Amino acid sequence: MKEELRLVCLVKFVPDVDAFSYDFAHNQLNRNYVRMILNPDDACALAFALQVKKTYPSTRLEVVTMAPRSVEHHMLDLLRLHVDGGYMLTDPLFAGSDTYATTTILSSFLSQLSYDCILTGTRSLDGATSHVPSQLAEALGLDHMQDISRIDLESIKRQRPECTVEYEEETVTYAMDMPAILSLTRTSGYKLPYIAYEDFEKDVSDRLTFITHEQLECSPAAIGFSGSLTHVVDTFAQEHERRNRTIVQSDEAGIEYVYAFLKKRGYM
Amino acid sequence: MKHVLVVQDTDCFANSKNLLALTQLMYDAGTYHVSLLALQKDVEDAEGYFHQIITAPESLYEMMHLAGICDVIEHLQKAHQFTSILIPATHTGRMLAPRLARRLHTGLVADVHEVQQRESTLMMIRTAYAGNLMAGITAVGDGPMMMSVHPDSFSYNQSPDVYTSIQDYDGPIPSTSTLRIVRREKKRVSYDIRKSDILISGGGGVTRYFPILHQLADALGGVVSASRKLVDQGLAPRSIQVGQSGKFVSPRLYIALGINGAIQHVEGLQDIETIIAVNTNVQAPICSLSDIVVEGDAKDFIEKLLARIHNTPHTHEGDT
Repeated sequence: MKEELRLVCLVKFVPDVDAFSYDFAHNQLNRNYVRMILNPDDACALAFALQVKKTYPSTRLEVVTMAPRSVEHHMLDLLRLHVDGGYMLTDPLFAGSDTYATTTILSSFLSQLSYDCILTGTRSLDGATSHVPSQLAEALGLDHMQDISRIDLESIKRQRPECTVEYEEETVTYAMDMPAILSLTRTSGYKLPYIAYEDFEKDVSDRLTFITHEQLECSPAAIGFSGSLTHVVDTFAQEHERRNRTIVQSDEAGIEYVYAFLKKRGYM
Repeated sequence: MKHVLVVQDTDCFANSKNLLALTQLMYDAGTYHVSLLALQKDVEDAEGYFHQIITAPESLYEMMHLAGICDVIEHLQKAHQFTSILIPATHTGRMLAPRLARRLHTGLVADVHEVQQRESTLMMIRTAYAGNLMAGITAVGDGPMMMSVHPDSFSYNQSPDVYTSIQDYDGPIPSTSTLRIVRREKKRVSYDIRKSDILISGGGGVTRYFPILHQLADALGGVVSASRKLVDQGLAPRSIQVGQSGKFVSPRLYIALGINGAIQHVEGLQDIETIIAVNTNVQAPICSLSDIVVEGDAKDFIEKLLARIHNTPHTHEGDT
């Protein structure tokens, strides 16, 4: 058994898309005042990593994100949860990267780090492609599992994590050697702790390192928009069929209306 | 001649076959040839639909050895120069497709559910921002066009009418995997919400009493489904989730209880005969798409409608 377990948690900060509202009457999406949040699946991964660290205090936990500098304060808050170190991959050259180019950047950085396990979320709220963890597994030559709803804590320490995935008709538990990439889902229910009161104003900036493309072994042509192999050429709102609705109350007359409707249409 | 590779959906053969409808939208008739990469040996159903079936060693799928499956496709790609590779967006497909795209140094579009020709370029359409917007995406670069395809997005109803050649893959598989299955447990209750004519569906407005939806479903001979909000809160399994990140459903009757109607949810409602929304807010987006809107509390509605169905007077909790 190794003395120190080294975990890397890969996270993304995303727009809180659930706060988007949609006006079906005018086919307009209202994106005003939407804040950035830690991607919920990634939050579960970090919450699990913190559980590991709490159980095995010699664990070293580092958080990695590729993000613009504007989310620095979010990263500092994660470091206040007793995360040992954070890396922000920040460079204007990274802008416009699709999942392929993002993987090029992240794999280039991660290959410089020492780790036993990379924990991350399965889907991001904004893109929800689930591409990056699988592509990283390919680029780094690691085994990978996603949609994980539970990881056996002790198995992590044994360097062969056992993780459970819920399928339609069965629950399957997989095991694999470390290093590996494990992607969790929100249904895992792992919850991030709150920042302790005494840590609210704690200066943790010395634990945050900024990484630019110059520190990575990837050419500018392989990253950003120019390194992307897919391009978004259009975005639009889907038209939905509006119906001539009848509005009733949940009172005797309304229930009778619904009951008669169901009978007449043969649903009962 | 274009050459398309379809990777088998091991959960449901129809999903593999339905990708033939997608190829018809991509290429003109007679200008393409479709091969199926079978991950399981039982491929009789596929004969007559695909021009070629190539069977990979079954152990690769059984052991979830995705790098090994990439070895197979990489080798086949060198031999066949596929124009496009289509992968069903199942749990396995969602992990396989990105790995393969990386291996082949090609772009990948996820969860495609529509394609459109834009001038001379194929635009692949998927949802973005949790289903709040649609995005049209094109592939650039020299590699094959790759997409994972949302199940239920395409339907192929033609009879099998092509000659199918079958061959076993016997090329190299240099990758290794340490992944093993430790346990499998059958779930006690499972049903497919796509097969029911009547869905009683719950959202954020019924978090405190989601189980009582089953009573209404039983009374109407339907089953219960849920919005993403309930699934994320652990109140309902993902297998009964309706929407872009869940399942596309087409019941005759859809009763939406306490569901707001985010786009990602509405995307999952296809060709539904009747929608009844029960909501305290008649301005909720789902209400614009409904035939009947019942303004009120969903629990109260369920209890009163059940009482009417059973022809017994409704009594409030606490009434004596």
